[in-house]
Amino acid sequence: MRRARPLLGTIVEIEVDGVAQADAERAIARAFEAVLLVQRLMSFHDAGSDIGRINRAAFRKPVTVHPWTARVLRHAAAFHAASNGLFDCAVGFELMRRELLPSNDLDHVCKGDFSAVRLSEDRAVRLMAPVAIDLGGIAKGYAVDRAIASLRAAGVRCATVNAGGDLRVMGEIDQPIHVHVPGGGLLQAGLLRNGAIATSSSFATVGRNGALESPDSTTDRRAYSVVAPSCIVADALTKILVQSAEPQHPCFGRFGATAFISGGDLQSMAA
Amino acid sequence: MKWTPLLAAPAAIVLIAPAGATVYMSEQQAMQAIFPGASFSPGGRAGVFRASSGGIVVIDRVLGKHEYIKYAVGITAGGTVKHIEILEYNESYGYEVREASWRSQFIGKSASSPLQLNIDIKNISGATLSCKHITDGVRRVVGQYQSLRGQ
Repeated sequence: MRRARPLLGTIVEIEVDGVAQADAERAIARAFEAVLLVQRLMSFHDAGSDIGRINRAAFRKPVTVHPWTARVLRHAAAFHAASNGLFDCAVGFELMRRELLPSNDLDHVCKGDFSAVRLSEDRAVRLMAPVAIDLGGIAKGYAVDRAIASLRAAGVRCATVNAGGDLRVMGEIDQPIHVHVPGGGLLQAGLLRNGAIATSSSFATVGRNGALESPDSTTDRRAYSVVAPSCIVADALTKILVQSAEPQHPCFGRFGATAFISGGDLQSMAA
Repeated sequence: MKWTPLLAAPAAIVLIAPAGATVYMSEQQAMQAIFPGASFSPGGRAGVFRASSGGIVVIDRVLGKHEYIKYAVGITAGGTVKHIEILEYNESYGYEVREASWRSQFIGKSASSPLQLNIDIKNISGATLSCKHITDGVRRVVGQYQSLRGQ
């Protein structure tokens, strides 16, 4: 059974096999609820979400967050440290300046980096500088992981969750995986079992210097993919791959991931 | 985790162009998913159904640059969005899908894995596609709630 809903600013698809129809229906509905909770907690747009509250108040006083938000922030800190700052969720300032995110009530925000974020044991967040956090580069992957965990808890053993290209498969079968190359079609990339893959492009990634290519840019039509045991790792590490363009970057092995870049020669093939 | 890459040799690169919609559920299934146990009667215009429990379901379509999406949105009696389900989704992947001449260049590029058309491709990893068209569509439906409900 396959179902899809518009969530997280994209289309989230959940497919379940090997269980009775009514059970599949219930399990999928609960998995979508997990994705919806991630959206509610981590939306930049919603002033009342954990992220909305951090960006508005955590520079002045501690803001206590949900355990899921705390877990994503801890992952974000680990990726930031392991990539020497290439992965950075404190890019709210750059995204607002480019009008990719709304800046309501956020006039106080300045340029800075994720080292300004402090998270205590009891999930209280403090910002040591007036930065703004956007979890757009990691929360989708985490939502996929939560959906898979929810399906597993419901007794499902074979499933796929795909949040607009960040996907994870569960089950003892090799699943064929295709990669969407910007403007170039689909490539058969490989077979994946019990793992996750995420793909990004240079125009979908905001770098540490705020660089962002226009979607119409013809300079880089490559797809940057990372395969990892969990989708939060795959999702986050694609941002490091886009900026470093190094599939051999030590970051990937450290998190049990494999990186590859595809599609660079498609334009010449088409010529 | 087990990953078996297929991109080892350039010759293994194959472009594929999926065709045909992914159908997730029927209109009836969507109506039951949105208002479980309710019965439905026709509303103010085609594609609009009034639920016996109050509220309506609107079956709508949005057409983007590269995709066609049919979805159902449930609106409560109070005029707020209750639930959205996607019924059908059809995305094309850029110009190669429309231009057969361009596509034909790839036929025979790799004897071991020929160009595949009209097959159901699942598990696509790619730069995130937007659901903006659906969001706009839902906003339009909510704005027209009174007239859509009829009576």
